[in-house]
Amino acid sequence: MDGRAWRRFRKNKGALWGGMLVLSVTLVAALGPLLAPHDPDQQHRETLLSGDGSPVAPWSVPGHPLGADSLGRDELSRLLHGGAVSMQVAFFATALAVLLGVVVGALSGYFLGAFDFLSMRLVDVLLSTPFLLIAIAIQRVWDDPALWTLFVLLGLLSWTTLARVTRAKTMQVRALDYIQAARALGAGRMRILLRHVLPNVLGPVIVLGTTLVAQMIIVESAMSFLGLGVQPPQASWGSMLREGQELMDDAPRLMLFPAAFIVMTVFGFNLLGEGLRDAFDPKD
Amino acid sequence: MRLIQKTNARALPAWLCVSLLMGLAGCDKRPRGPRYEGAGNPKPRDGGTFVFHHESNVRTLDPHLAYDELSNMAIRLLYDGLLDYDEQSNLIPSLAETMPTVSEDGKTFRFRLRRGVRFHPMPGLPKGRELIAEDIRWSLEHLLSGDVASPGFPFFRSIKGAEAFHSGNEKHIRGIRVLDRYTIEFTLSEADQTFLNSMAMTFAYPVPKENYARRGDQVGQYPVGTGPYMFQRWERGVQIEFVRNPRYFAARPGPNRMVYLENVQRYVASLRFQNGGLDAIHRYTPAHRRLYKTARRWKPHRKEFAEAVIYGLVMNCELPPFDNVHVRRAVAFALDRKGWAKARGDAFLPTGQFLPPSIAGHVPRLENRQRFDLARAKREMREAGFARGLRKEIVLWVGEGDSGRFYGELVQNDLAKIGIRVRVRQVSFAVYLEETAKPKTVQAFMSGWAKDFPDAASFFDPVFHSRSIRSRNSQNRSFYRNSQLDALLDAARIEQSPSRRAKLYQQASRIVTGDAPWAFVYNPLSMHVWQPYVRGYGPHPVWDKDYRSAWLDLPRRRVAHMLTGRRFAKSMASLFPFGPLMSKRFAEGRFTQRRRPAREGTMRLR
Repeated sequence: MDGRAWRRFRKNKGALWGGMLVLSVTLVAALGPLLAPHDPDQQHRETLLSGDGSPVAPWSVPGHPLGADSLGRDELSRLLHGGAVSMQVAFFATALAVLLGVVVGALSGYFLGAFDFLSMRLVDVLLSTPFLLIAIAIQRVWDDPALWTLFVLLGLLSWTTLARVTRAKTMQVRALDYIQAARALGAGRMRILLRHVLPNVLGPVIVLGTTLVAQMIIVESAMSFLGLGVQPPQASWGSMLREGQELMDDAPRLMLFPAAFIVMTVFGFNLLGEGLRDAFDPKD
Repeated sequence: MRLIQKTNARALPAWLCVSLLMGLAGCDKRPRGPRYEGAGNPKPRDGGTFVFHHESNVRTLDPHLAYDELSNMAIRLLYDGLLDYDEQSNLIPSLAETMPTVSEDGKTFRFRLRRGVRFHPMPGLPKGRELIAEDIRWSLEHLLSGDVASPGFPFFRSIKGAEAFHSGNEKHIRGIRVLDRYTIEFTLSEADQTFLNSMAMTFAYPVPKENYARRGDQVGQYPVGTGPYMFQRWERGVQIEFVRNPRYFAARPGPNRMVYLENVQRYVASLRFQNGGLDAIHRYTPAHRRLYKTARRWKPHRKEFAEAVIYGLVMNCELPPFDNVHVRRAVAFALDRKGWAKARGDAFLPTGQFLPPSIAGHVPRLENRQRFDLARAKREMREAGFARGLRKEIVLWVGEGDSGRFYGELVQNDLAKIGIRVRVRQVSFAVYLEETAKPKTVQAFMSGWAKDFPDAASFFDPVFHSRSIRSRNSQNRSFYRNSQLDALLDAARIEQSPSRRAKLYQQASRIVTGDAPWAFVYNPLSMHVWQPYVRGYGPHPVWDKDYRSAWLDLPRRRVAHMLTGRRFAKSMASLFPFGPLMSKRFAEGRFTQRRRPAREGTMRLR
């Protein structure tokens, strides 16, 4: 990010707020497991379930500020651990998507030809399939889903837009004079691609990547909500949302807490992404 | 490509306020009582559509293959047996004209068929055709043939020649004789005390051979029977539709159609029920169970009773680590049954033995009963040689949905304390039925056993007799073999003195409790709730969810309490200009009354 972009970014209040939200949520997610006061999977059926079996309310039992979930597990600890899981999935899936998208996009945009044709048709196919449906189908077929399968799956399915954008920007950049100049000076193709093209396509990639994190959080929540994300007893915000559903009438907080975190995080990432786009691309 | 819409930052607070208001307006407290009342007709009447549900998917509608609660709910509508049970669990004649005449030695049973019973219409036979004694014979031979590999075979072994026929050595079953068009006689090889119970099971429901010839192994999807309802349509995994059989021999007033909704989650089921989209429910989330249990206005329309059903954790005795009896016992002693009951909203009674209390053979205060005893569980782990727990995690299969996961997590928590890590795998009921019936396939799973008839034989023989182990469709899903137990069960089956029989089954109870092929956990407290306009229905002691006698007391016009709707409309209307005016009109019911009165059978909000 050059100086001008940074100045534009700083002026954008929404983007700053978004950045702060993202930073704080990321911190919570990174440190959450350390901050959690209890084991998130330990069920305290004696102490944290009231007489009729409903979970205790916030503050009613010392040491459990957010009360318990339907199985008598500490809600705060689950939220913190769940956040770590949700963010982990979102970040790794996005990282994979960015890596794939940039590599495929840059190569096909720079070399064109058969590789470009094939990879873009693949992108067409992936873009025309309903994302969540495919993700659910694959996760369902996967005999033994673990956490890593989830983010590999999400990463493999969501690199397409990034590839398109990278390719377009690469094609635009490779026609510029300084690339011609570098070529005339005898620079190799790889050197041109890495040193001269890539740094100039990174702007939109960062923007897209940021908003992709937000999307991934939503997709992870959706899949965990459908019971296809993290496996029990592990918590993620999406799975907590689902677990809270059973007690929606008695204890709506069990849905509201994770929902609030999801909304906050996604909102933050979207604001940040928008701010970054404005900063990188003053024309829009 | 832009992935996000540009939001106007200044409009944001206003937007948030609006959505918050809408959220608050939508937070309407659901009425705690029923929303629809019956019209109060004194006599049963025809009409309407009865909608019921279950939380997983139905596997088959072929009575020769179905052996589960979900399929049986549909099969009870489609078929009849020679014998049935009344409300007191007594055997009564159904397709048979009277109870059969039995010979002195208790080995020969002669049934007279009711005349004029017709099968449902089927392709080629638009009016169906009459049920005759030959159909009974054909159905049983089809059921017991080796090719069909029906799980029902063990119940009919005592018919003379059944085994030889099953293994393909004989072309017909010697013990079945058709005397004339309406008379059939069964001869048994031993005085089986449960033969009449077996004949009342869904397996023995007569089926027309034309349907099998035409549909082959698709019969399960195109069932034809004699029952009060005929099959209409099955959208797999979604719903099964039935229409009333106009030629039913014991016709009585009832709904014109029945709809069986599959895969309705517990929470959703309750919401639909409260909105009138379901007419009876039987599965709840803990919160909703508490609601129906305490709400005064639901009281006349609900019934709670201890079911003669056992639930537990089934361990595959052929697969490590559960081939070791000490590991199995450790599991049996590690499960905190009372804690489970609490977390589940007291939906069941904890137990520690196989037979439910209402079945003869249950031992009150069984000395070696399984119970929560962590020290004992740890000792058993030490004796098994796993003092430090198991190295490999075990895979536990549970049902779909929230409750399946819930039980999985309860097990995970309890077994972690004795050093067993559990991975929970949620599978559909159909997959579960298929796979757990194969040897050496599924390590452990949560399961239940509901009686086929109210007798200990109906529990022990299919679940623990080594004869029930087969290479597919095995009913003994723990693959537990014990020749001593087998001998006891065989003796009990033909024992004519009830007290001596009970003693034999008590002995059998002690054996399986100690060997722990299952960790016995609880007997469910079944609760059925139905709409006020559903009449003539109550849970059946044998069939449990049996809707064939229900009728709908539908009002001529919709007299639904539009309570929720009106209050919601009011609170929404108050958000807009002219709100009070609008809400007044809503409150007067002008908008709701102007709607066309619902015709019979459309009284649902979908």
